[in-house]
Amino acid sequence: MTTTDPEIRIPDPIELDRLEEQRLRAAAGLAPVHAEGGEYAGFDTVGIPDRPPQTEREREVYTLEEGEMLVNMGPQHPSTHGVMRIVVKVRGEIVVDVDPVLGYLHRGIEKLCENATYTTVLTYVDPMDYLSTMHNEHAPAIAFEKLYGIKAPPRAEYIRALVVELNRIFSHGLMMGFLALDIGGLTPILYSFINRDEVVDMLSAISGQRMLFNFFRVGGVNFDTNDEFLSRLGTWRANVLENVEMNERMITDNEIFRGRTVGMGRLTGPEAIALGVSGPNLRASGVPFDVRRAHPYSIYDQLEFDVITQEAGDSYARYLQRIAEIKQSIHLIDQIMDKMPHGPVQAQVPGIIRPKPGRAYGAVESPRGLYSVYAISDGGPNPYRFRMRDPSFISLQAIPKLMPGRLVADTMAVMASFDPVMGGVDK
Amino acid sequence: MAVDRPTTTNLPEPVPPTGEPPIIIPDAAGDDELLRQFEMEQHPQGGFHGLLEVIPTKADYVLDLIRANSLWPLLSGLSCCAIEMMSTATSVNDIDRFGMFPFRASPRQADVLIVAGTLTTKMAGPLVRLWEQMPEPKWCVAMGTCTTSGGRFKRSYSVVQGVDRVMPVDVYVPGCPPRPEGLIYGMLKLHELVKQRRGQWSTYVDRGPQRTRWEGDVR
Amino acid sequence: MEHVRGPRPAAHALGRRRALSAPVVAGALIRLLGDRLGSELGDLWTDEDTVEFTIDGARTVEVLTTLRDDPDLEFFFLADAAAVDYGTDAHFEVVYHLFSWKHPAWLRVRARVDRAEPRIPTITTVWEGAMFHEREMYDMMGIVFEGNRDLRRIYMSPDYKSFPQRRDFVLPDDAADSPAAGVNPLERPETWDLSRFRDELTRSAAPTFLPTGERPGAEPSVEAGRTDADKSRPR
Repeated sequence: MTTTDPEIRIPDPIELDRLEEQRLRAAAGLAPVHAEGGEYAGFDTVGIPDRPPQTEREREVYTLEEGEMLVNMGPQHPSTHGVMRIVVKVRGEIVVDVDPVLGYLHRGIEKLCENATYTTVLTYVDPMDYLSTMHNEHAPAIAFEKLYGIKAPPRAEYIRALVVELNRIFSHGLMMGFLALDIGGLTPILYSFINRDEVVDMLSAISGQRMLFNFFRVGGVNFDTNDEFLSRLGTWRANVLENVEMNERMITDNEIFRGRTVGMGRLTGPEAIALGVSGPNLRASGVPFDVRRAHPYSIYDQLEFDVITQEAGDSYARYLQRIAEIKQSIHLIDQIMDKMPHGPVQAQVPGIIRPKPGRAYGAVESPRGLYSVYAISDGGPNPYRFRMRDPSFISLQAIPKLMPGRLVADTMAVMASFDPVMGGVDK
Repeated sequence: MAVDRPTTTNLPEPVPPTGEPPIIIPDAAGDDELLRQFEMEQHPQGGFHGLLEVIPTKADYVLDLIRANSLWPLLSGLSCCAIEMMSTATSVNDIDRFGMFPFRASPRQADVLIVAGTLTTKMAGPLVRLWEQMPEPKWCVAMGTCTTSGGRFKRSYSVVQGVDRVMPVDVYVPGCPPRPEGLIYGMLKLHELVKQRRGQWSTYVDRGPQRTRWEGDVR
Repeated sequence: MEHVRGPRPAAHALGRRRALSAPVVAGALIRLLGDRLGSELGDLWTDEDTVEFTIDGARTVEVLTTLRDDPDLEFFFLADAAAVDYGTDAHFEVVYHLFSWKHPAWLRVRARVDRAEPRIPTITTVWEGAMFHEREMYDMMGIVFEGNRDLRRIYMSPDYKSFPQRRDFVLPDDAADSPAAGVNPLERPETWDLSRFRDELTRSAAPTFLPTGERPGAEPSVEAGRTDADKSRPR
């Protein structure tokens, strides 16, 4: 048992020299963290930060005019996206400005991955965007295979595409449920979770886990399909289209739902591209950018599917887009099951791989958008730099653009239509 | 003659498990401080006599049953375990049958805080504030390995290594994430704790050792 | 164009395992880049599906604006903006990944940033969506983006003093060495008392009934008058 002698301490890296940061800030022309002239100097309103605003934008948001008020939709709120804090400046019930505060789930995954072997990294990335675990693992697997210079065997690629599309289906189904839940409908979420439980039991038959699957390996996947998986897949596939229709019928033509989503949060194509929004959110605004088509990975160049878009760009369009994508994914799964070849499911790769020094970028289409991994290898057993680009994180930048002028209650509804997952946002 | 099969008539008296004294309901009427304080011992309506001696203590037992069977959790899903908690709350694995349907949004109305998901240093402040806002009796369930001990983020610079560093925990449910059946098992253990009056809360009137003694008790 | 390290290293590493398609595909892009940005490029390199080149940190805005607005290049989408730390005695790098319909290869732009004075112009004027990327790079790496209207910490608390993703911010090798180790008594095995679990671990889960009517392992029946129950039972 390691004993910690308080005299011989490994210096805590958190105790860095604060003069260093102050020097940097002064050199950059930013205000120091604790301004002179007292705590509230230059900040003459009672607001939520208990320190003076540090940046121009912060000053903009936290300066209140006549009749305005700051409301904190705090890290714990009934909306089910996780821990996000939105500071909303309201005048009455109308939102004037919005400041999202993130980081309540920041776990330091990128830093942890620098100290882990390549296979362990694939387990660390699971809980990032926890509703699309397979996609989280797919991108690093692609990047590491590029670094190491191998290809996964074809059967592994087909299995990867299969589980990835299954993951997409239940993730989009959950978005439908969460959107309805945030608007106030308590039933669709139950149907979404029934669907998710079915799919997740299927995936647990193939990977052993219900949620953070740990299924991908560098060079393939961990397990081959087995009888239970195939039997559950068949049962599920027989019922899924009518289940989707049933869920859809409950929400899509619902007057209340339409009233609260049609015309809300309208995002045009160029705006969305400038903000970095991707995935179904971007396609709902009319831009046909799908990574599976734009830069095909895995076996998507051999499968036939359409890139669907909607014109409206509002919350309703984002909802319709996801339903259309569920149907596309079912179509893809049918093709995959038709074409899947026999063969091994994992390439012969050593347990600890040491790729040659290099850089690799792997991007996949996750249910929330473009999810990519940029990995740098220095020849050792751990990646030198492991960087994940999460789509929810970037899509959240649309919130301060879409909220002003709307009611407070619409904040959550529009945010739910972007389907952010805080695990990915905060890494 | 072979041993009789156990039927309802020839079972022995139930004996409690070894090492623990039986659940006693002592006669507390004699040493009631409130009676002494207000000098009500001689008053005809002061104190309880006869059959009425039994009722307050039985009421406590009934109150504990009521509390156990309608524990209202606080919606405090932080991360992946929150999704499994929601899965436990929805149709397939249903904790509504145990009374836990309403996930209260406000801590003032909640009984049990199921910390589901990784607790980070930034979130620790708000979470402890939530805990302190919950009125007693309250219990805390640490769901998942991240809240038990930091879990897979053991070396991280921003993860609190176990929620018991910031608040007292009654039940630890391991798993990453725990299966819904596992969480239900944890909640049933919590029911046991509630009924045996163990845990992190104390009655505001201290009637003495009116519960089974347990070595781990801090009170 | 003389800095193009062609696909030879890539071919050697990947040749027998991956089919090459990019040199033909990326050739047009490389020619165009040399045409439009010739003087800015340093160290152009291509692999089968990525073209990367290095630029100086001060020229990011011009280079990226050209890449976005030129009608033949048209890299309209900023896929990723990352920061890399090459060591305490080396430099930082800000890496942008771009996508274009016209060129099937990803484009990687590596901008070199000095480590002593880590400042680089912001590209929020080119893509608004780079705001959160830059805030994260400032928070994690300490790179200051000049002209960014909202450069504050995004993941860590505002009063956090370190930059976690730098190479000199080291996570302890063993969690037990960190200063907070062992605070929780559950983390110190010597505090564990397992004697409470002796019964549960040794007892069978099924109820068993002995002929004498006792449970196995139970203490023999107590004599009357000795227990508290006897004392409290009304006489």
